Formats: sequence, C-alpha cells, structure tokens
Amino acid sequence: MKLKLLPLAFVLAHSFINAQFSASLESNNQYYVDDSKIKLAENEAEERFRSNSYLTMSYKIGKFTVGAQVESYEPKALLNYYPEFDGVNVGTFYANYNNEKGLDITLGHVYDQFGSGLAFRTWEDRQLGIANSIVGGEVKYSGADNLYTLKALYGKQRVGFDWTNSTIAGVDTEFQLAKAFNTDAFTSSLGLSFVNKHESDDDYFVDPPKDVSVYGVRLNNEYKNFYLNLEYLYKTKDAIKMATEVDPVNFYSGNAVNLMFGYTKKGFGFNGNIRRLENFNLYSERNLIGNQYNQAVLNYVPALTKQFDYSLANIYVYQAQPQLTFFPQKKAGEVGSQFDLYYQFKKGTALGGKYGTNISLNLANWYGLKGTYRVYEDYNTVKTDFWSWGEKYYSDFNVDIRKKLSENWNSALIYIYQDYNQDRIEETSGRVYATTVAFDNIIKLNKSSLKVEVQHQWADSSYKNWAAALTEFNFMKNWSIFLNDLYNYGNDVKEDQLHYYSGGIVFRKNSTRVQASYGRQRGGLLCVGGVCRMVPENTGFTLNINTTF
Amino acid sequence: MKNFVLVFFLFATALSVQSQSLSNISAKNIEGKTIALDQMDDEKPLVISFWATWCLPCMEELGNVNEKIGDWKTEKDFNFVAVSIDDPRTVNKVKTVANGKSWEFDQILLDPSQSIKRQLNINNVPTTLVYYKDKLIYSHVGYVPGDEDDMFEKVKEAL
Repeated sequence: MKLKLLPLAFVLAHSFINAQFSASLESNNQYYVDDSKIKLAENEAEERFRSNSYLTMSYKIGKFTVGAQVESYEPKALLNYYPEFDGVNVGTFYANYNNEKGLDITLGHVYDQFGSGLAFRTWEDRQLGIANSIVGGEVKYSGADNLYTLKALYGKQRVGFDWTNSTIAGVDTEFQLAKAFNTDAFTSSLGLSFVNKHESDDDYFVDPPKDVSVYGVRLNNEYKNFYLNLEYLYKTKDAIKMATEVDPVNFYSGNAVNLMFGYTKKGFGFNGNIRRLENFNLYSERNLIGNQYNQAVLNYVPALTKQFDYSLANIYVYQAQPQLTFFPQKKAGEVGSQFDLYYQFKKGTALGGKYGTNISLNLANWYGLKGTYRVYEDYNTVKTDFWSWGEKYYSDFNVDIRKKLSENWNSALIYIYQDYNQDRIEETSGRVYATTVAFDNIIKLNKSSLKVEVQHQWADSSYKNWAAALTEFNFMKNWSIFLNDLYNYGNDVKEDQLHYYSGGIVFRKNSTRVQASYGRQRGGLLCVGGVCRMVPENTGFTLNINTTF
Repeated sequence: MKNFVLVFFLFATALSVQSQSLSNISAKNIEGKTIALDQMDDEKPLVISFWATWCLPCMEELGNVNEKIGDWKTEKDFNFVAVSIDDPRTVNKVKTVANGKSWEFDQILLDPSQSIKRQLNINNVPTTLVYYKDKLIYSHVGYVPGDEDDMFEKVKEAL
C-alpha cells in the first residue's frame, strides 16, 4: 500500500470502528412420529425430520446499513408450508442509506406499509410462512419537522425464493394538516396512497387488465382525548377466484371503507371500528389470487376481532372475508364492527380492592354484503347495497377481568361467547355457538413462579365440548417446564375424543431461548393477526432455538 | 505489510465492537410525535421493552414494571420505552390499553410495520433490552415474574 493511501485507509477504518454487526437466529425443528391415534399422512411420512431456520444479519456503518437473511428448509419445511420454501437460500438482502435528515433509501428487499396497510403492506410472519417483501427499491423523505412524508417504491414481490412476474409500483404521502396551520390544539393528517401492479397477458386469461391500481385516501384526527380516523380505497378491475380456480373471463373492481374512533383517558379507554370491504383482497399475481399459502399478498386485511390468548378460544377463529366469488358460494365481501372498552377500578375502591382491578370488554359482529347476484354460464354480476348487512358470518362477545389477589398471586377470569358461521367462513357446513371460560393464575413462590390455567368450552356442534389445562413452573431463574392438555371429551365421534397433550422444557438466558417439547398438535387453522394457515394434526418432538447476537 | 496489518487490526477491532446501535431508529409515540431512540439514550440507562396488546406475558411484564417503576425511579433514574409491535389490526388499541391500565412509562412507541423490531433483530415478543451510552448491557427474551427485578439490577449496575 502506498503511503499516500494511508489517510484514506485511516478514514475508512475509522468509520468501520463505529460499525455494528448484529445477527439473530431462529430455528424451529420438528421430528414427527406416529402414535396410537395420530399418524403422519403417507405422502409426508418420508421425511419425518423437518426444520425451518432463519439467520438474519445486519451491518451498520454510519449512515449505511446492509443486511441479509439466509433461510433453510432442510431436509424439508415444517408441515403444510408453501412448497417453494425449499433448501437453503438467501431470502432477503438490502442496503440502506439514512442521512438522519429525513432521507431514507433502500435497495434490495423492502418491507413497509401505506397507512393501515389496506392498500399495501409487506411483512414477514415465520409461523404462517409469509415473507412478501418487494425486491427493488424504496425512497422515503420526510420534510422539515415531519410536515410531510413521501414514500415511493418499485419492484417485484418475493414468492418463496423467487419473485413474481408482475411489477409493483407504489407512492404514499402524508401531510400534517394541523402543523401546516400552525396549531397544536389538535392533530390531523391527510394521507394519499397509490399502488399499481403491472402484469403482462397470459394465455389462460381472456383480455385481463394489465394494470390493477389501488387509490386510497385517509384522514386521521386527534383532539384532546378523542380520535377519529377514516379511510376509503378503490381497486380497479382484477381477477377473482372461483372455487379452486381463478376466473379467466370476469374482472371486477373493489372498494373499502374503514372508520376508527375512540376516547381514552387515564384508567379508561374506548375503541370502535367499522369496516366494509367489497372485493378487496389484493395479490401481485393473477394466478395466485386466493391461494391457500398466503403467497403474493400485497395488502393487509386482518380480521377485526379480538386476538385470543387462550387455546380453546382459537378453535373457531374468524378470518376476514374481503373476496368476491360466485362459486361455490356467492360472496362479495364483509361489513361489521368491533368495540373495545377498558376500565381500571382504582386501588382502595370497593371493586378495585387492595391492588386495583382491570376489566376489558370486546364485542365484534361481522356480516356478508347484501347484494343481487346474477350467474350466467360465463358471465356473472353482483350489485351490492352499501350499508345493507347480509348474513351473519361471525360475532363474539368477551369479558376479561384481571386482578391481583395478593402480593404474589395474579389471576384472570375470561368469558368468551362466539357465534361462528362455519358454512360461510370455511365454506364447509354448520354453525357453531361456543362459550369458553378460562381461569388463569400466576403465583410467585420466592424466586420461582407457577402458572396454572384451566379452560372449558361448551359448543353445540362441530367438535362440541373441550376441557383444557396448562401448568408451567419457572425455576432457577432460567428454566421452565410445562405441561398442557386439550381434551375434546365432547366429540360425537368416540375415536376423536382425543387428548392433545404436550410437555416440555425451556431454557432462557439473555437473548437466547431454547425450547424442547414432545406432544400432539391439534389440527386446524393456525392464525396470527387474523391471517391463518391450515395445519394437520400431528405428534412429535419439537426443538425451537431463538437467539440474538 | 505493516499498513495491511494496521488496517486489518482496525477492521477487526471494528467487528468486535458489536451490538445493535440505536442511531437512526425512530418511531411515532402514541401522541403522534416522532421520537428518536438515540436521543433517549442520554446520561440515564434506557430500557426498551417490545410488546403487543395480544401478548399475555408482555402485558404481565409491563403491568409488573408499571407497579414498581415509581419506586425504582426514585432509587435510580432511567428511561423506560415500551415499543408496541401491534400491526394495523390492533394498533388502535395501544393507546387505550396504555391509558386504560394507567401506564407511566417515559414513552410508548408504535412500530406497526415492525421496522424497529427488524432493525434491532428482535425475533419475538416480549423482549427487553437495556442500553447505556449506545451499548447493549442486558437483554431478556420471554418473561417470567422476577425478570423485571433482574432488569432493574442491571440498570443500577450501569450507573
């Protein structure tokens, strides 16, 4: 190295001194076995050991960050993941520049969302096998004092280890209206979104629209303890799914209205949400519309119901029904509402007792859209009424009371009532009315603690009654052991009256958590954020490793 | 050769100085103001707790921290930031839950697109980190009662 290059090397080296490398590893491994009741399906039985692992690395030098995620599905991905998650490969990579003055540029894989995500959201959910980043670039800019923000992105969407044939372009802006008027008496922001997917012709489709666009406008307001957010979105004509195939002939537009409001003060909170969706799912590729693996999803349409913490309440889970379809059922979307109320009875009051009591109520109702459907051999139409509610898809009501009973004993009592229209949600048949009660306790014992949870569900059909219990003992600071059982004792079919038991041990230290267990997993929908993945019931050994370094 | 060794040494030093820096990480709080995390990491230690309204152990942890935080702060002052990873499904509930439960944390930040979670390489909630002068000095993943006391011990040791 020539001497005159030394200063340059020094500057470079100096900047590297301030560099940070960080990484995290998540590895979920399973060895499936057959027991007397549950056996692995024949087509899956060849590979009994399955593993999904993710190594995420980032390296930050001043204003630059580079990162990548290596994913391994070896020898095969866990049961019922998207089959293209196969082998070892680089899942995502990116380079980012952020000048700390409002400019942020990313090249590579981009995760982001516009507004509430109804127009555009990319995210990763490893349990569901969702990793739908845009491979391309994004520029974000925030004007002085965050008066406005602008985002623009362009690229293709990740599907498995590949990406879609279509290209995605998106622009989102947000203006702080109250700031512009120089007032801080209230806050108000106006947001505008535009998302476009461009996809070339395809022999399967008859004259499909090459461009599908979503236009969105949103207004968020806050005044003292109140808030009111309203958004409207419109989607231009796109294909729809009919039973197992995407309709090659008919294309339909869609729209969404979302209203959120609430009031909050210390010890009290209220939220309301009303939403109407008509043909409002969005996929980056026509062929993948409505696919069971949640691949190529471009927007986020969560079910607006309470996300339940207790296993029995997660048997009949509502999934948002934004889709238009004429076969096997006629559906055009959903309309409904959700309300939440939180209240804290203060310490020293009659209901608050010595330590205070927290109570929360939640109520949700979801219906199909009422409309006139006309079905011809190869031409179908629908005309919906804007606020007419059709058949009920789902409702629930739940009460959650949490109270500290003594210095070392926290308890919770939960009541959940669900009305689940299986016929319309799962497109099978039946309707289930289920009542679930859970009693949850955490008791502190010197330096250890014990969790004891019991649940019962009364259901009039489908699986009928369940009883469940979970106990977990945490000891020596870093260790936990747990035993869990869900017993479907009320099932009409005697052979299906199964115990879904599991037991295991957990070790935690700093940023590392290792869990080893053995047991049975109930089959059905595994849902995160109201987005679900079907898992078959199975028995086996599980080893999960999670660490950041 | 000497220069090469020097450069190599400096690079190696750089690589050994590893932890997730807080620079360039900001998010909106529940009042709608943008907060930069490195500005909260001042002379006092900074605790960052990742949580979600639907995560039972997170609610347990934050409830227990809230009960003790007043006493702790009179003993040794520090900043406590609760970063909600609630996505658009539940993000509206964050403010009502925080107020409904009378939480008294320094900041409650919203990370609905999970960008802070990704920037700090967090896999799951709850995860709690303690920073002091832009260095990660303690972390725990998951929660069992008593973890909050360990966290406060580390805060005291830092000062």
